[in-house]
Amino acid sequence: MEQLIQELKEHLIEELNLEEITPEDIDAEAPLFGDGLGLDSIDALEIILILEKYYGVKLANSAEAKPVFYSVKTLAEYVMQNRK
Amino acid sequence: MADKRVEIYVGASSLVTCLGNRPATLDAIYRAESGLQYSERYGMYVGECRVASLPGFTRFESFVLHTLRKFAGQSDLPLNSPDLQLILSTTKGNVELLAEGCQEIDKRAFLYGSAQRIAQEIGAVHAPIVISNACISGVSAFVVAQDILLSKAQKHVVIVGCDVLSEFITSGFASFRSISPQPCRPYDAERDGLTLGEACGALLLTTEPQYATRPMVRLEGGAITNDANHISGPSRTGDGLYYAISQAMQQANAVPDDVAFVNTHGTATRYNDEMESKALAWAELCSVPLNSLKGYIGHTLGASGVVETILCVEQLRRGVIAATKGYRSSDVPHKLCLSDKPQTISGECCVKSASGFGGCNAAIVLRLSDEESAKLNMPPKRECREVARYALPQSEKPFAEFIRAEFKQLGRSDMRFYKMSDLSKALYVAVERLLEQSPWEDVEPRRRAIVLANRASSLDTDAEHQRILDARLSEGASPAVFVYTLPNVAAGEMCIKHKIQGDNTFFVGDKCPAILEDYAQHLIGYDRADAVICGWCDYLGGEWNVEIEMLRCQK
Repeated sequence: MEQLIQELKEHLIEELNLEEITPEDIDAEAPLFGDGLGLDSIDALEIILILEKYYGVKLANSAEAKPVFYSVKTLAEYVMQNRK
Repeated sequence: MADKRVEIYVGASSLVTCLGNRPATLDAIYRAESGLQYSERYGMYVGECRVASLPGFTRFESFVLHTLRKFAGQSDLPLNSPDLQLILSTTKGNVELLAEGCQEIDKRAFLYGSAQRIAQEIGAVHAPIVISNACISGVSAFVVAQDILLSKAQKHVVIVGCDVLSEFITSGFASFRSISPQPCRPYDAERDGLTLGEACGALLLTTEPQYATRPMVRLEGGAITNDANHISGPSRTGDGLYYAISQAMQQANAVPDDVAFVNTHGTATRYNDEMESKALAWAELCSVPLNSLKGYIGHTLGASGVVETILCVEQLRRGVIAATKGYRSSDVPHKLCLSDKPQTISGECCVKSASGFGGCNAAIVLRLSDEESAKLNMPPKRECREVARYALPQSEKPFAEFIRAEFKQLGRSDMRFYKMSDLSKALYVAVERLLEQSPWEDVEPRRRAIVLANRASSLDTDAEHQRILDARLSEGASPAVFVYTLPNVAAGEMCIKHKIQGDNTFFVGDKCPAILEDYAQHLIGYDRADAVICGWCDYLGGEWNVEIEMLRCQK
């Protein structure tokens, strides 16, 4: 789980162009959207692509999966349960 | 004493949609027949047209030339008139040429070159004007044409709007998950996205009544605004679109009772239609008959504003508007006057609106009237002056390194910067530096405007989007890249960052077009803005050229 969280943070930084941010800066339990990392709805679409690309996990749309997108931890839990 | 306003009449027009030419399209929409069909090639419903390619021209250019030739057959005014200005409205032009292996960008993909070839072929006397303002391009073209005619710079303007389908476009919208698996259903409770289409339309606007078609319809108002909220998502309040509609109605001296019908963008995405209902509520237009034509011809991007306005003129003349195809019952926040049957209308005016990526909105007001004069006045002319100018320095360093250092020097901790396209980053730094020289806290957001031009449009990001498609990753296109394949999104970023809610028009030219400075000055001169950032902002393949200025009203 810890390793998955670390990996997810790295993918987010890379794919969402979060320059200036290191994995340590991201609190796995803090909300991803809103003030923290300044993510928006386009990032949400990109996160769906990340889950598909690296873990083969498919999500229809971000609105359906709001709780999954709450934090890095909730993302990791979802991946654990659904990865192939 | 106020000056009398020049009258602007609607003249000849022609169009081609997936339903056929103008008469065929009109017949079909009154019979509520859709032209949208499932396409194996694109894997979605689309509104496709048959276009015979002309030798030496691309499919896009051929489409424009066919439409202009039909137009010429309808119009008493020849296209080579020295008093005529041609405006081309398009979002992507020849972008499909990038698909044929894009090591180097095909020269024909430049929008302005394409416009020049078209202008030359039809014998146009003046250099063409190109507007690329995402999905509002077509309605924007009317606003710019209105400015050209009101300022008496020209007597006639022919607006031609065109976009053609390509995988470039369909894959991008698919990455935003905004494509409906069925033909789109504007405003319906079960709507689940848009359907793309291709089309071309051409229309004459003239200040001389002998070229007006009858019964006479005049263009009496037009405005462009920005939500200053999000680069791809519609505003949650509808205030930006409301502001465009109210400004256009004010110019036309129109009140809600004068409005016979409203033709919105009505794309059938959840959020767009919801936002429009809020804007119409603000404008007190909820009880006025409304329709969207997207269920017949799809969302035709840069063509939509032109083609749909031509169809609006005809609907206004008939006194009956077409049904909203795909609509049965609505769940938008405000109850609107929609119907799945044609509606009889009364009143003289039509309000046509559009909204698009980059947060932009545009609205125009057309009026059906047999009187030759509208008795509208021009606002008293105001003087404007340049108060600051900034050119982004050139550097030996690669752009990424250079712009990063420039950004650091600004001392901002703005995470958004790193997500932007290189065109947007270049503009970001330049605008920050310009505002350091000339702060504008005293100017209301609605009175701030940004008017830009460049040569390469968004070709740098277009090539990146195409590379992602060529790599055929199973996940498809990247929405974070695709959103920047529109040059005006760079301006949209600035609108969010610096609360610019007024005009935001993007021109494309081979060098700084004369219209840029004229249009920017008129925004202040005719009281549509108090401060305007305007200038050149070009970026392609690691080379940049950004020079902008601040115009202010002379006190």
